[in-house]
Amino acid sequence: MLMEGFATAAQPEYLLYALLGVTLGTAVGVLPGIGPAMTVALLLPLTYTLEPTAALIIFAGIYYGGMYGGSTTSILLNTPGESASIVTALEGNKMAKAGRGAAALATAAIGSFVAGTIATVLLTLLAPAIADVAVKLGPADYVALMVVAFTTVAALLGSSPVRGLASLGLGLFIGLVGTDTLTGQQRFTLGITTMADGIDVVVVAVGVFAVGEALYVASRLRHGPIEVIPVGGRWMTGEFWKRSWKPWLRGTFIGFPIGTVPAGGADVSTFLSYAAEKKLSKRPEEFGKGAIEGVAGPEAANNAAAAGVLVPLLTLGLPTTATAAVIVAAFQSYGIQPGPLLFTNNGPMVWALIASLYIGNVMLLVLNLPLVKIWVKVLQIPRPYLYAGILLFAALGTYAVNFVVDDLIVLLIIGVIGFFMRRHGYPVAPLVVGLILGPMTEEQVRRTLQISEGDLSALVTSPFAAVAYSVLAVLLVVAVALRLRRRKSEVTV
Amino acid sequence: MIAAKVEEYAFGGLVAAVGVFTLVDATTIAGRDDNVVGPRAFPYAVGILLVVTGIAAIIATARGKLGQAEDAEDVDENVRTDWLTVAKLVAVLVAHLVLIDVIGWPVAAALLFFGAAWTLGATWWRALPIAVVLALVVQVVFAYGLGLSLPAGIFEGVPFLDG
Repeated sequence: MLMEGFATAAQPEYLLYALLGVTLGTAVGVLPGIGPAMTVALLLPLTYTLEPTAALIIFAGIYYGGMYGGSTTSILLNTPGESASIVTALEGNKMAKAGRGAAALATAAIGSFVAGTIATVLLTLLAPAIADVAVKLGPADYVALMVVAFTTVAALLGSSPVRGLASLGLGLFIGLVGTDTLTGQQRFTLGITTMADGIDVVVVAVGVFAVGEALYVASRLRHGPIEVIPVGGRWMTGEFWKRSWKPWLRGTFIGFPIGTVPAGGADVSTFLSYAAEKKLSKRPEEFGKGAIEGVAGPEAANNAAAAGVLVPLLTLGLPTTATAAVIVAAFQSYGIQPGPLLFTNNGPMVWALIASLYIGNVMLLVLNLPLVKIWVKVLQIPRPYLYAGILLFAALGTYAVNFVVDDLIVLLIIGVIGFFMRRHGYPVAPLVVGLILGPMTEEQVRRTLQISEGDLSALVTSPFAAVAYSVLAVLLVVAVALRLRRRKSEVTV
Repeated sequence: MIAAKVEEYAFGGLVAAVGVFTLVDATTIAGRDDNVVGPRAFPYAVGILLVVTGIAAIIATARGKLGQAEDAEDVDENVRTDWLTVAKLVAVLVAHLVLIDVIGWPVAAALLFFGAAWTLGATWWRALPIAVVLALVVQVVFAYGLGLSLPAGIFEGVPFLDG
C-alpha cells in the first residue's frame, strides 16, 4: 500500500506540490506572525481547483515545514517568542550568540529530519491498525473521544484552564451558527441570509490567527532594526554527532506519543524533552548557556509530536491542534471525512499523502541545512510590509471563499476578538478545535440518543466511552495536581 | 494595571453575554420535543459553558489572576498598547471592505496594503509602488492562473485585469 503511495507521490506533478508545500511551510515557520494553521486556511479557497490529493500534499508539506522553519527563527532572532520553540530559543539562541549558530541550526534541522522520519514510520505502522479498531466504535464512543479531545486541548493548553474553556465555548458557539443539519432549523443566524450556511472555517481561522495576530503585534510592535545573529562556527565535527544523536532519538520517542494523545501538542513534548536532556546530561552546567542537547532533543520532540498528531487525525478524524483542525476542514471541503473509514474508502489518497511526508522530510532537510541562508533573508523582511501583507492576504483569502463582502465583516469582528483574546491569555487554538469538533460532536450525540430513544445513559454505558471518560477525569486531576505543585514550588522559591 | 483589569472584566462579561444570548435565542429555535434530542439541547449546553466560564474568568480576575498576554517575536513587552495604530488598522480594513464593490478589488487591495504598511511605519513613497504592483499582480494571477475573477471595478474591461 505504501509502495503504491510512493508511486503516486513520486510523480513529477506531486513532487512539485510537495516542494511547494514544504517551501511555503518553511517560509511561514520562519516568519513571525504567520503559522501553518493560518496558511492552510488561507490556501483552502485557492486550492478548490486542485484535486484533493494534490491539495492535501501541499497542506501536509506546510504542516511539516512550519515545524522546521520555526527553529531557524528562534535560534537566529534575538527576540524569542512562540511557546513551541521557546526551549530551542533558550539554548539555540545562546549557541548562536557564542558563534556556534551553524551547529545549532544543523542539529535542529537534522534532528527534525530524524524525528520526522522515524515518527512517520511509526505513523505508517500504527495508523492502519488503529483504524481497524476504530471502525468498530459506535457514535457514543466518538462522543467520548471528542469530549476528551476538546476538554484536554482547552484545559491543558495555555496558562489558564478557565480561559481555555471559554475559548472553546466561543468556538462551539460559532460552530452552532447556521442551519441545523438534522432538522433544517436556522440557529443564531439573526435573520441574516448569508449566515444560514454558517460561518466558514476559513473566515474564523484567518480571523483569529491572521487579523488577530496582526492587530496584536501592531499594538506593541517592536521598532528598530531586526537583529539577526550571524551564523558562525562549524558543525560537521565528531563532537557534534556524538552529542546530538541520543537527544534526537530520545526526543522522537518523547514527542511521538505525546502528539498522538490530545495533551497540548508540541509544547508539552519540547518541555519534557528539555527536562530529560538536562537531567541526563553529563554537563548540566552548560544548560542555559548553549547546550547542544537542549536544541537537539526538543527540536526532535517537536517534529515527532507533529507526526503523532496525524495519528488521531487520520484514524479517528480527531484534530488535537489548531493546524490539525484546519486540515480536517480541508478534508471536509472535499467531501472526505477523516476517520476509520478513510483508509478503506480513500486508500490511494491517504497512502500518497503519507508517502509525501517521507519525501517532504528529505526536501526539508535540504531546504533547511544548505539553503538556510535564504531563510535568514526572509527573516529580515521589514515588519510594516510583513504585517501589511498578512492583512492583505487575510482579506483576499476570506473574500475568495464566497466573493461576498459580508465575510470580510465577520473576519474583522473575529479578528478583533482574537486580538483581545491574545491580550488576556485566552488561547486561540481551543476556539478553532471547538469550531470543527462542535458540529461533529452534536451530530454523534444526537445519533446516539436517537438509537437509544432518548436514554441519556447510552452516552456512558459503552465500555469504551466509560474508559475514555475515566481517563479524562484522571488526566484532569493529575493536571490540577501538577499545577498546584508548581504553584507551591514557585511560592517557596 | 487598572485598565487591564477593566478590560479583562469586559471580556469575561462578553463571554458570559454571548452565553446568555445563546441560552435566550435557543428558546426560539423551533423543534420537536419528543424523546429525541432536538436542535436546542446542544445550544443550551454551549450557553451554559459560556456563562460559567465567563463568570469564572471574571472571578479569577477579581482574585488577581490576570490572563497572561501572549508573547511573540515582534512584540515588545516594554511598550504600552498603541491603540491609535490598532484603530487605524481597523479603519483601513473597513475602508477595504467598503471599497471592494465601489472601485474594485485592485484599488481597494492596494489601499489596504499601503494603509497598513504606512500605519506601521513604512516610508510612504516606498510602500505605495509595492502596494500597487502587489495588488495588480494578484488580480492577474487570480484571473488567469486560478480562473477566479476578483471584481475589477474601475478596471472593468481592461485586458488582463478583468478576468
